[in-house]
Amino acid sequence: MGGSSKVLGLTAADQASLLRLAILGLISVVAIGSRLYSVIRFESVIHEFDPWFNYRTTQYLVKNGFDKFWNWFDETAWYPLGRVVGGTLYPGIMVTSAAIYNALHLVNVPVDIRNVCVFLAPVFSALTAVATYQLGKEVKSATAGLLAAAFIGIAPGYISRSVAGSYDNEGIAIFLLVLTFFLWLRAVRLGSALYGALTATAYFYMVSAWGGYVFIINLIPLHVFALLAMGRYSNRLYVAYSTFYALGTLASMQIPFVGFQPTFTSEHMAALGTFGLIQLVAFAQFLRGLMPARHFQVVVRGALVGLFAAGAGALVVLTMRGVIAPWTGRFYSLWDTGYAKIHIPIIASVSEHQPTPWTNFFFDLNLLMVLLPAGIYFSFRELTDNHVFLILYSLFAAYFASVMVRLILTLTPIVCVMAGIAMANALEAYLDFRSSSNNDGGGSGDAAQPADTQNSSSTEPSGAKRMHGWLGRTVVVVNLMYFLWMFQFHCSWITSSAYSSPSVVLASRGPDGSQHIIDDFREAYYWLRKNTRADARVLSWWDYGYQLAGMADRPTLVDNNTWNNTHIATVGKIMASDENTAYELARRHDVDYVLVVFGAMLGYSGDDINKFLWMIRIAQGVYPDDVSEQAFFTAGGEYAIDDSASAAMRASLMHKLSYYRFNEVMGQHGFDRVRRQQLPTKVELSNFAEAYTTENWMVRIYKVKELDNLGRRHRAAMAFDGGS
Amino acid sequence: MRGMRGAVLLLLASAAAAAAAAAGLVNTNMIRSVDLRALPAVKEQVGVVVQNEHSSKAQRSYTVVVPAAKHDSLARISVRERKSGAELDVARVEGGADAGQVLYQATLRQALQPGDKISLNVDYVLLNTVAPRPAAVGQVDDQGWVWADDVLVPSAYPTRKQKTVVRTRGDIRGFEPAAAATKSGRTVTFGPFEADGGGLGAARAEVRFWDNAEQVEALTHRREYFVSHWANDLNVLEHYAVRNRGPEIDGGFDKVRQAVGRFMKMRDNFVKTLLLKVPATARGMYFVDEIGNVSTSAVTGRQRSSSGGAPFRVMQLKPRYPLAGGWNYTWWHGYSVPLDAYLRVGPARGGRHLLRVPFIGSLVASASQEEVLALTALDTPNVAVSEYELRITLPEGAADIAVHTPFAVDSVAMQPLSYYFDSTGRTTVVIRQRRVAPDASSAHVLVEYSYSARALWQKPLVIALVLFGLFAAASALSRMRLGLAGPARGGKGGRATKPAAKDD
Repeated sequence: MGGSSKVLGLTAADQASLLRLAILGLISVVAIGSRLYSVIRFESVIHEFDPWFNYRTTQYLVKNGFDKFWNWFDETAWYPLGRVVGGTLYPGIMVTSAAIYNALHLVNVPVDIRNVCVFLAPVFSALTAVATYQLGKEVKSATAGLLAAAFIGIAPGYISRSVAGSYDNEGIAIFLLVLTFFLWLRAVRLGSALYGALTATAYFYMVSAWGGYVFIINLIPLHVFALLAMGRYSNRLYVAYSTFYALGTLASMQIPFVGFQPTFTSEHMAALGTFGLIQLVAFAQFLRGLMPARHFQVVVRGALVGLFAAGAGALVVLTMRGVIAPWTGRFYSLWDTGYAKIHIPIIASVSEHQPTPWTNFFFDLNLLMVLLPAGIYFSFRELTDNHVFLILYSLFAAYFASVMVRLILTLTPIVCVMAGIAMANALEAYLDFRSSSNNDGGGSGDAAQPADTQNSSSTEPSGAKRMHGWLGRTVVVVNLMYFLWMFQFHCSWITSSAYSSPSVVLASRGPDGSQHIIDDFREAYYWLRKNTRADARVLSWWDYGYQLAGMADRPTLVDNNTWNNTHIATVGKIMASDENTAYELARRHDVDYVLVVFGAMLGYSGDDINKFLWMIRIAQGVYPDDVSEQAFFTAGGEYAIDDSASAAMRASLMHKLSYYRFNEVMGQHGFDRVRRQQLPTKVELSNFAEAYTTENWMVRIYKVKELDNLGRRHRAAMAFDGGS
Repeated sequence: MRGMRGAVLLLLASAAAAAAAAAGLVNTNMIRSVDLRALPAVKEQVGVVVQNEHSSKAQRSYTVVVPAAKHDSLARISVRERKSGAELDVARVEGGADAGQVLYQATLRQALQPGDKISLNVDYVLLNTVAPRPAAVGQVDDQGWVWADDVLVPSAYPTRKQKTVVRTRGDIRGFEPAAAATKSGRTVTFGPFEADGGGLGAARAEVRFWDNAEQVEALTHRREYFVSHWANDLNVLEHYAVRNRGPEIDGGFDKVRQAVGRFMKMRDNFVKTLLLKVPATARGMYFVDEIGNVSTSAVTGRQRSSSGGAPFRVMQLKPRYPLAGGWNYTWWHGYSVPLDAYLRVGPARGGRHLLRVPFIGSLVASASQEEVLALTALDTPNVAVSEYELRITLPEGAADIAVHTPFAVDSVAMQPLSYYFDSTGRTTVVIRQRRVAPDASSAHVLVEYSYSARALWQKPLVIALVLFGLFAAASALSRMRLGLAGPARGGKGGRATKPAAKDD
């Protein structure tokens, strides 16, 4: 690669640099573009549930400024308890959006905050691609980096959480995760305090953005520990880790939601212990320079063993005495997949906390999953400090991803990097046609850039003998290219078909292919927003809490921030109780409206009757005397809703609110299209009045009646009115 | 009328004396006709024969009394000479009246000499005065309404003889006071009363009637124009917050009945469609509310009304939910039209730009069960605007702005605005008006402004300069060496030390 072959007045190195920049730019465009299906098919709208909370808080931040946001006590959530919003969230994503919003407004680009929020995740996915490129370049080569960047740009495992409108913490957190790891590896390689501090800064940003930061603060110490255990201590490692841990921990404690957790919770103890250990090791190294080797070994062995035992013992004792908080339930469920189902149904009730079926790996990662072991193999072959990190990351992330569906997200970056390494190794070996030819006259014997090597593929082989090698290479390369081609095809298909639905808006297709939008959720929320008192309390299952707050702008009893299990259980109990009990409970909680989601008309299976068992289970956990799961099954053990349903089921508020008068429109032999059962024929309701039902009956809103003027029960009053 | 305002203002100085000076005038005959056939707008006309019975003094003006409660729903008042049809200047009289009254003074074209008579027509347009009665009915039942007003027309002068005629669109259910009125078909006549007013004094008249036509109040309405010379584009954006004025649902919403009625195409009281006339050249239409797109809307092809006029298209907006009586809905919609149809510029005007845009658009609400509505629905306006704001945002650099409104409005103001890629900002003309009479949709606002060639090139130049500056800064930064080490050895940051890197 001498300066002899200039194109456009650029040297070969400059050409490569320009090409890399162009490729990276194109990857960014593809990464953003492939996440826009939802905006093109539907509209620029916030998706699902949690994003609605993030969106609402961002609006609040933009409108009221940072100080107000930080001290925000939201009295409309968790009525009547309220929620200290500023202290119970990760503010990273809101602050990021608000900063972008304010910067754009500063230069007179008055975009809507909603559009900033909707497009934040796609834009950050482009940044993730750049960070992954840097990471790949750090551990292997620019080729591996570019391949890794291309992979992460379109890998469905990451797209699932970062399509336009999916305004959630993960949207920026994956970028920060990759960035932190890249900076960490560079800090370790260079032994640079500057990069250590930058790692801490990125880590701080990550802490502010996502609870998954715990993964970083355990993985990096693990890396350090592994290196120490392998006898790979170096001053570079010492500088990097000491800088990172000290600064990173102090910085992370500035986030109110994290606070003093780094000093007293088990999740953070590994990092602290490793910090202590590396000080000891460093001190030992220092002593080694001063002492004769024989003395040194005695001293070091004794001290190390003693101190480590003392430290571990102290940890255990402190944990048992309660000074150090034990692992939380969510973390236990990472080790024992059955734990949550028995002890904390509210965690088990969330579909993304379920163990991962193996098909999901193929679905989300496809080719990359196959390339991961190859990447690990190549990392072993050339085992640098960085490669140790990659291997550890792969193993642990793969384990966690197989325990919980949503953690495929943290696995995706490393799989992309490993696949990049594997693919780069393969391509570099098989695309370098020069080694099979005698002499290509360039005089350069170096391993070449793939971009350049591709050019040299036009070199004519000069003999039949080499023809064989040439052919073999071509077959391999064409095969790899075919796999990559299929991979991108798979990715865009998965993105388009599985991950681009806002779930707030549904779509169906008519027989003629025309699209029909099903917008019942927003219909109901907007009705509440416009036609009820501003302080009307709405009771619904917690899934809809954030959407109600965001779209209906009304106080709710419970929402997706499931911090108070008792309160949620109370709502479950109201839904599971008979009408009179439910009425009393609802009035005692100042409920004005009750909202249920009902899919029997359209066959929407995510409705409340299907979630009802979880409500019962959670309620039973807190009120075992009042609610019993068994009572809701028929004698034959079936979950029936029709006339053969159990007495408790037919009497329950949820059943009544769902099926009230539904059989009147469906006719004599009406059918529940979700449960595939006959409709119940006799549903009486007296304490609640229908307030609104949406076009496709998907959302039904009932008003809790005022107390009767004469002090009668509503049933008696209705009978009296009906008789007169 | 506008031109005369200054002169009228001078007259106001003597307003307090008006009542005293009025002593000589007498209403010899007065007929009030109330037209309830275009609800929610009530068109009221008081035809009066005025005689000057003063012995010597000629009268130059006639004072109209409007009770304060009625004034709160008054959209327009005008006075004409019946014979010539000429409109007289009308000005509000500040002070000099009871707290419960508002006075308007019409200036006669010629002074009324002693003994002479003149016939005047006083026209009122009142909005949203008719109330539903009963206040709640079943969702498919007929809607009943009640009109109420004083039996006797208040006047600053003695009235010798008067009567009131009320015409409705639907059947009449009843009226009060029954003894003083007669019904004939869909007309109720109160009176005639002699000078003593039939002894009714301050009694109230009331007419109860059926009327199933939709009545919608636009609580607030804001129309915005954005002028772009570069794109030859006039962007129209309309915000609405409406409320169905109809009676509420007795016994609460009944989904079964609503669904069955919809299937069977039976009449009910829900407003389901909002119709808008937009120019045929409109493009880029959208319909959004506070929580996102509303996908249930359609637009017709190019239409031409039978009476001629510009071709148009009709946007049919379906709210997220049908509007029962008392229910609210808020949304906004917009579209673009080519600017050249609305903007005139030329040497004849000294290089001035003249923008001529409709004062207000028209909206029609429909309770029809049909998916696609007939265009005849457009002929009966049934949305009355209570609070109206018109904003016209001129391009950056527009100067010397002059605004001509078609009639007197509550306020006209200029506001600065920084919009997309502005460097010096632009001006928005803000016109506010409470209660807009339905016929205002045919009126136009004229905005005159100067716009230099420099202003036209300002934006591209600024953007080009900023981009150039950015590139220059990036270029300079990349050539700069930071740090304490001596001149670096080629490459960026000494990557040569990296073990795994293959690029050199």
